[in-house]
Amino acid sequence: MRLIKETDIKFMSQSRFAFFLSGAVILAGLISLFLQGGPRLSIDFKGGTLVAVQFIEDMDVNDVRQSMGAVSIEGRAHDYSRAEIKHFGSARDISVRLPILEDQPENFPQLIVNHLYDSFPTVVPADQNDFILSIDKVGPKIGAELSGKAVMAIVSALLLILIYISIRFEFKFAVGAIAALSHDVLITIGIFSIMDYEISLPIIAAFLTIVGYSLNDTIVILDRVRENVKSMKRISYSDMVDHSINDSLSRTIITSITTFLVVLILYLFGGEVIHYFAFAMMIGVVVGTYSSMYVACPIVVQLHKGIKS
Amino acid sequence: MKRKLTPRYIIIILVLVWAVYAIWPTVKYQNLSEDEIETMRDEGTLQDLESKIIKQGLDLKGGIYIVLEVDIPTLVSNLAINKDKRFEQALANVSTKIDVESQLDFFQVFQEEIDAAGLRIHRYFDVDFGGSLEEIIASLRDQADDAINRVLEILQNRVDQFGVSEPTIQKQGNRRIIVELAGIQDSERARDLLQSTALLEFVLIKSPELTNDMLLRIDKVIKGSEELADFTQTDEKEYIIDTPAPISEDKTISVSDLFGEQAAQAAADTSDTAVVVDQNLVENRPFSSLLRALGNDIGVPEKNLYIIKKILAMDDVQDKLNAANGQFLMSDAPESFTSIDGLQEKMYRMFYLEGESELTGGVVEKASATIGGTGSSASGQSIVLLDMNSEGARTWSRVTGGNIGRRVAIVLDKKVHMAPVIRSKISDGGTMIEGFANLDEAKDIAIVLRAGALPAPVNIIEERVVGPSLGADSVAKGTQSVLIGLALVLVFMIVYYRLFGIIANFALIWNIILLLAVLAMLDATLTLPGIAAIILTVGMSIDANVIIFERIREEQRKGKTPRAAIDAGYDRALTTIIDANVTTLVAALVLYQFGTGPIRGFATVLFWGIVISMFTAIFVTRTIFNTMTERKSLQKLSI
Repeated sequence: MRLIKETDIKFMSQSRFAFFLSGAVILAGLISLFLQGGPRLSIDFKGGTLVAVQFIEDMDVNDVRQSMGAVSIEGRAHDYSRAEIKHFGSARDISVRLPILEDQPENFPQLIVNHLYDSFPTVVPADQNDFILSIDKVGPKIGAELSGKAVMAIVSALLLILIYISIRFEFKFAVGAIAALSHDVLITIGIFSIMDYEISLPIIAAFLTIVGYSLNDTIVILDRVRENVKSMKRISYSDMVDHSINDSLSRTIITSITTFLVVLILYLFGGEVIHYFAFAMMIGVVVGTYSSMYVACPIVVQLHKGIKS
Repeated sequence: MKRKLTPRYIIIILVLVWAVYAIWPTVKYQNLSEDEIETMRDEGTLQDLESKIIKQGLDLKGGIYIVLEVDIPTLVSNLAINKDKRFEQALANVSTKIDVESQLDFFQVFQEEIDAAGLRIHRYFDVDFGGSLEEIIASLRDQADDAINRVLEILQNRVDQFGVSEPTIQKQGNRRIIVELAGIQDSERARDLLQSTALLEFVLIKSPELTNDMLLRIDKVIKGSEELADFTQTDEKEYIIDTPAPISEDKTISVSDLFGEQAAQAAADTSDTAVVVDQNLVENRPFSSLLRALGNDIGVPEKNLYIIKKILAMDDVQDKLNAANGQFLMSDAPESFTSIDGLQEKMYRMFYLEGESELTGGVVEKASATIGGTGSSASGQSIVLLDMNSEGARTWSRVTGGNIGRRVAIVLDKKVHMAPVIRSKISDGGTMIEGFANLDEAKDIAIVLRAGALPAPVNIIEERVVGPSLGADSVAKGTQSVLIGLALVLVFMIVYYRLFGIIANFALIWNIILLLAVLAMLDATLTLPGIAAIILTVGMSIDANVIIFERIREEQRKGKTPRAAIDAGYDRALTTIIDANVTTLVAALVLYQFGTGPIRGFATVLFWGIVISMFTAIFVTRTIFNTMTERKSLQKLSI
């Protein structure tokens, strides 16, 4: 079976349209980021407390919110009803997220769990340990450190890749590849912002995987370009690049399909913890495939023209 | 040209044998029943098996991950002598600075701060620390390094006694300790066990007269204080509902209510302020009016606890307490009382103690938890029995002998567990501590007392708990996703590439087996993101084969024979595969370097998944193709 017959798509002449499309999506993301004052960071980076608990019946978020209106801590009643309270995967599971608060005792997450457990005595498991799904408490120091590390990780990955491609290929290829994957990460961050999803540690892992995937795709095409430069001296550079993309199109599509399939499965069946990671990867696979053809290659062509003239 | 395929077969078979050997323990372990596991545990063979299997991370097994940081400022403060305001201010400044910028080195900032404040540091430290600023800082630094090592040792000791299978306790940098307790259910108990400084103190309680006098002084100091008003202000930003200790007119109490007739009399005698029992009480005695009388003790209603603590921490109040060499401490848990008007109220007891302890937990030689025997004063209660070393027993004998009739508080981590009256001299060093909620708590306290006190307090800066049900859920969903994903890709490949699809599928399954084998051999930990990486490997590792197949198809279209097409396809695809995958490897390595726990698990699997898929595509499937093309009859490639 062959999905892709021999094609002759004029990718380079479509690239103007593609630039507008990419630009529009990135712009929308940036506007969303600007309006929300930056990406929505999880407690991994901001610090805070996230408690997820499991009731034995479906719960109404509003009931939980109401009960969070008066939490007694060291005898003081605190109103946490404005905390972020939502379902965690299923309707029986509830997660409560609180920022770092002043005078917060060391066992603060436990107090929140206790409060929820005591507030709904009829719908909780008999053993309190079965009630707790997860507790995450991140101090401000750790949060700041992780943010720094995440930025460092992405920047150093980009630098190493730039160096590798410059050595193995040409510098203009490296520029095209870096532009493509920056484009992919920017779009993913933008879509996360528009969807109001938060950026957590696993999402950073997803970004780096997207970087890896997008590059993989870009390099397969650029590799073809490197090969065709020698054999197709009669046609223009731009046509030669088109030819190269068409040559590898079949592989590009098939690998994207298999990868997208598994990520989709992960998104649908992987459970709450991995849900957003899979979502980021889904965007990454689509955008990564697109950007290899419509971002990396046109930039290489433009740079080539620039160098010639 | 006859190809030499035999060595290739041997290598492939050897790798396969090795893979099966490496995965076997994991398969065996998965199929063990609970009973069999117990039998193996008893026989002692379980640990051996467990060391060979693919470990599950905390996010899959359930458990606790805690990062502790040794509180260096407090350690330095504890080491210092003759502390004064300027010194404490300097130390507080440093604490704030390093809290904001965590990468700063405490001692460097401390040195700068001391310099800037023009403090003469040798005044605050014993001559053993050295004379110059540099010397003192250097020896403080040594003390801090030593402290973290001792903390590590003590925590290891505690966790070992607590009975956790395969705990991980390790140092991170030179201020932090990471503790991982897999499979632990009771996170609260584990947290208490780790964080308890286990500082046991025996402190004499001051007389009711002195206590009352101090209460009056505090009342005077804080009367009309703006700071006090601040505590009772609503602070919307922090989402705190204001509950300023609600005291109604009819609830006002007299000093005689508080301390009994005698104390009130004493108060009236020693203080020139007349005892005022009227509606102005709250205003005139803002501190005492928050308290209740509990027989001979002072009761702190739970709802007033916060504000009482705030008042006690105020500078002016601290000055008064320091001048009188006293301290207020609370009992460790609240008790329920029914007041005269029938209302249930939870109250802590508060004690006014001497500033210095008579004896500390360092003298404890043995500690054990038990239930008090019938006939003893603690009949049926959970108690901890202590034995002291000879030096401790001597001191204890002198203290108890010299203070018969006085009360002594047994204080653990600044919380009063009990405050008995000394009836007679205790000369053998044996002591009993009461006041535990249950036997588990008593046992944990006995553990921490045996393991010794931490040289410095530790703060929990990161804590992650995964409940067993979430972990099990993640494993189930992860496995399900891997299987569905795998099935879909296998079907897709057969439909799309037919015979070659079967070869690619063989390679894919081989990849996964090899990946699991490598994980088992590397002692790697499988985390939920790790499972995600396996799924990604399923999708991405097919890529190498796809690149090759597409090349072969292309070469065939150019009219090459099957064998020539395969050779040309492989030759051309090789560099592409390497170049394309190295970049993903770079991303995985960076991720490993930057990540902790679950993220590292992801990076490890991703890295090996790619390496193995390259090996399989280039070496294993090539061998299969070569075998096929050996047969002369092959005229057409089913691709």
